[in-house]
Amino acid sequence: MQFTVEQKPTFAHITGTGRLNMVGAPKLREVVTQVVGDGSTHVVVDLGGTEFMDSSGLGALIGCLKLARQAGGDLRIANVRPQVRMVLELTSMNRVLTPYDSADAAFADD
Amino acid sequence: MTETSPRRSRRGPATARTVDALHEDLDALWEEAPHVPDTDRMAFTLAVMEAAGNVVVHAVPAAEAPIELEVDLAAGPHRLEARIYEIGAAPAEVDLDRAMAEEHLESGRGLAMIQALVSRVVFERHGDTNVWKLCRECGPDGA
Repeated sequence: MQFTVEQKPTFAHITGTGRLNMVGAPKLREVVTQVVGDGSTHVVVDLGGTEFMDSSGLGALIGCLKLARQAGGDLRIANVRPQVRMVLELTSMNRVLTPYDSADAAFADD
Repeated sequence: MTETSPRRSRRGPATARTVDALHEDLDALWEEAPHVPDTDRMAFTLAVMEAAGNVVVHAVPAAEAPIELEVDLAAGPHRLEARIYEIGAAPAEVDLDRAMAEEHLESGRGLAMIQALVSRVVFERHGDTNVWKLCRECGPDGA
């Protein structure tokens, strides 16, 4: 899985491309830890290019969400594809990780 | 399942890389099984990945030799089936009725997800191997 980070005026925009599974999950944790450690506590993980997510990927997102909140910020997800939406609904984690239609929409109302 | 059902198999070390490579097998299986609706493909793919991932994380070697992971997949006209073998693993108990983990926890969802995604799941011991059997009824007759 490949990640890119772009610093927007109000949040860090992380784009993940590939499969968020046992291989991709540790990379996501690494990237978000770095971003939050550098002071960007408002994070959007854009999953538009994420074709698959399993429970390990979901666990990484939950861990990253905790990390951002402990630092005084938040982590939100955007652009989810049908497979990722299925995982979120199956686990009821869409109540905690609510998918936004776009990265810009994620913190638009804050 | 008939003899002509599309099939795929993979065997390798029980590692995250082997599990990741299963996606290629499932993609190839779906190419040969156009009758399987997208919803069934997504659900079955995830169930197989969760079970194979469970092997990598939780299976314990019975001896010094590392555990091998073998996965056999078949897409019948009305049924998707997977056999997932933990070769060389110690006997184990798996709580297939485990409830979904609470929201704040980072793990503990895989087994509940598998239960929700397939029609039947069995975990049993064959010789020196633990075997997962997953089955999902699919298509207009199975939905």
